[in-house]
Amino acid sequence: MAAAATCGTGAGSTASVASAASKSKVTSFQRRGPRASGTDSGGLRLVSIAGTRPSVRNGQLLVSTGLPALDQLLGGGLAVGTVLLIEEDKYNIYSPLLFKYFLAEGIISGHTLLVASAKEDPADILQELPAPLLDDNCKKELDEDVCNHKTPESNVKMKIAWRYQLLPKMEQIGPVSSSRFGHYYDISKRIPQELIEASNWHGFFLPEKRSSPLKVESCSLTHGYLKLLQFIQNIIYEEGFDGSNPQKKKKNILRIGIQNLGSPLWGDDICCTENCDNSHSLTKFLYLLRGLLRTSLSACIITMPTHLIQNKAIIARVTNLSDTVVGLESFIGSERETNPLYKDYHGLIHIRQIPRLNNLICDESDVKDLAFKLKRKLFTIEYITKLKSYGLQDQKYFLTGHLQRKFAMKKNPFRGSYTLKKTY
Amino acid sequence: MVGGIMNAPPLSPGGGGLWAMTPSGGARGDTGRKSEMMDSLLGLGGLMLLRDSVEWEGRSLLKALIKKSALSGEQVHILGCEVSEEEFREGFDSDINNRLVYHDFFRDPLNWSKTGETLPGGPLGALTAMCKRTDPGPVTIALDSLSWLLLHLPCTTLCQTLHALSHQNSCPSDSSPVGQVRVLGLLHEELHGPGPVGALSSLAQTEVALGGTMSQTSAHILCRRPRQRPTHQTQWFCILPDFSLDLQEGPPVDSPPHPDPHTLRVDPTTHLTFNLHLSKEEREARDSLTLPFQFSSEKQQALLRPGPGQATSHIFYEPDTYDDLDQEDPDDDLDI
Repeated sequence: MAAAATCGTGAGSTASVASAASKSKVTSFQRRGPRASGTDSGGLRLVSIAGTRPSVRNGQLLVSTGLPALDQLLGGGLAVGTVLLIEEDKYNIYSPLLFKYFLAEGIISGHTLLVASAKEDPADILQELPAPLLDDNCKKELDEDVCNHKTPESNVKMKIAWRYQLLPKMEQIGPVSSSRFGHYYDISKRIPQELIEASNWHGFFLPEKRSSPLKVESCSLTHGYLKLLQFIQNIIYEEGFDGSNPQKKKKNILRIGIQNLGSPLWGDDICCTENCDNSHSLTKFLYLLRGLLRTSLSACIITMPTHLIQNKAIIARVTNLSDTVVGLESFIGSERETNPLYKDYHGLIHIRQIPRLNNLICDESDVKDLAFKLKRKLFTIEYITKLKSYGLQDQKYFLTGHLQRKFAMKKNPFRGSYTLKKTY
Repeated sequence: MVGGIMNAPPLSPGGGGLWAMTPSGGARGDTGRKSEMMDSLLGLGGLMLLRDSVEWEGRSLLKALIKKSALSGEQVHILGCEVSEEEFREGFDSDINNRLVYHDFFRDPLNWSKTGETLPGGPLGALTAMCKRTDPGPVTIALDSLSWLLLHLPCTTLCQTLHALSHQNSCPSDSSPVGQVRVLGLLHEELHGPGPVGALSSLAQTEVALGGTMSQTSAHILCRRPRQRPTHQTQWFCILPDFSLDLQEGPPVDSPPHPDPHTLRVDPTTHLTFNLHLSKEEREARDSLTLPFQFSSEKQQALLRPGPGQATSHIFYEPDTYDDLDQEDPDDDLDI
């Protein structure tokens, strides 16, 4: 496309072409008008923002979520202008980790951050971000973790069940080839203070913003949500993420993180009662937020305690109003903790929804059994492919359907002692 | 009954339930054990939820915790809404009674008598005033009861106020260091649906659920330290008349439950039509076997090079009943 455009300019001014050829020995083509800046360049020049890359499917601009494994599951990353909703686990231990990974990725890529919370001070949240792993010592540190975990069994190539070796592997641990997209972090260390100070961030802490808590609201949005929306709108407008300041020096992405949206601390009572007065407050907020995001260069992560929401219809509406929805289910306190199938993992990840942006289909992965594990330094996501045969330890077999039927009559007596996996 | 073992029967399947206790087994005396449970309960700070029910009342445990805090020299504020002040103070010694700061909302909750004794704004005003206090030193605030507050205040307001109250010590911007705040809330769980109870549980750092058998009371304690896995523990206790805590062993465990008929442990390797246990020779023979679907180089050669008996490939065709074997071209009839 660039060649065609310059051809057009060259053909119209042959005289200047000839004279220019003698002057500059590089090229005889001259650009006709002044160099167009900003969004006018269109197809002539690709706008490249740090920390983003276009999707291989449809060219959509993507940002990394901070976890390369999660990026891979979501089809390359999180699209700019969309909302990633994380459904919190029951005791809220693992969802803050994903939240922090997202923010840390923003700091490393140089994006602007907007952190909103009703529970913790945003400055405290930023202090607890994980430290990035640099390429040179990354491999050494991560290899320790991996070696402890790998068993000799997994190295045996399968002879009969060789099709399972063709299963897509989760991205192996290691420094990524291009360090501009998707970094690895060490949870056991804190991010260096100078990185936080060098970054541009805005915080929204609801208890500080509540001027008059007993004010009567005229619109149906809860007071806290209204304030948050106004804050986000101000930042987007003032810093030019929606293109309103044309002489902005360089385009950047705004990463918005909202913690515990929908909890009573935001003033919303969907977690307290089933028939609440303001049941549409949260859905209105999400709708307006998505409108703000679509018209600006920003991406948003929201964690929501959906296990506390009493009215299940609200959860369905919230899922529809978000773009990407990831649910976390931890095994703590549930009966799955003693299940031998899950003994290596800390919980399950459910990818509930992936958006279809300018597309008819979305990039869903085929395998749906995903589990996560929080190691000392890493948060890993893996496919559950643990297969145990009974009696033989060195070769993995599948018990086929015929065997399943044979033992079905005994009411599945050995439910706990081995695992049956359906072949896909 | 005095003394007891910390390891009580059925721990929840959390697994990581016993925290910081077992090494103290025999070395410490009984008082050590009593204070250990109290310390662990009170040491965490933040909001502690005491969930009781009609059969197992929690006010005596609340008073025991208040007594412990008062004896250790902390300030204790009590928001009394459910029982009268005389009834609440009953059973405490005079020195403890002198240390308790009692806010009475039982006698005149709506301030109709207008004597000016009660704080303006009702219980919410009292809580908000406590949020703004500036004196150093740890303080314990006992809410008797949270159920009463939930029924009179909107749940979200109460949650926000409790959060502000229990996280007061985390803001470093104040010039005077504010000590640790502990909020003890008594919640009658039968009065509320799962919504408010769930919302308050998500805010609480410690939850104590009271239960028990016929003669003994148990407390199921769930500690949620920030960014760590929650720990469960069950502790059997009883409260003495002077509101000191007495830890006990659990009730004697019955004979082990008879095996559930549904989970009969049948050895699946019997009555099979194939052999699952291989001897060494059989294993070697099996390993050296070429599987029919494995594409090895020998197989590839065998396929590419036709065998001695086959010069060309043969097609074996058996005609079906509907097959037309007529060799004529049906298009010959067309007159073009």
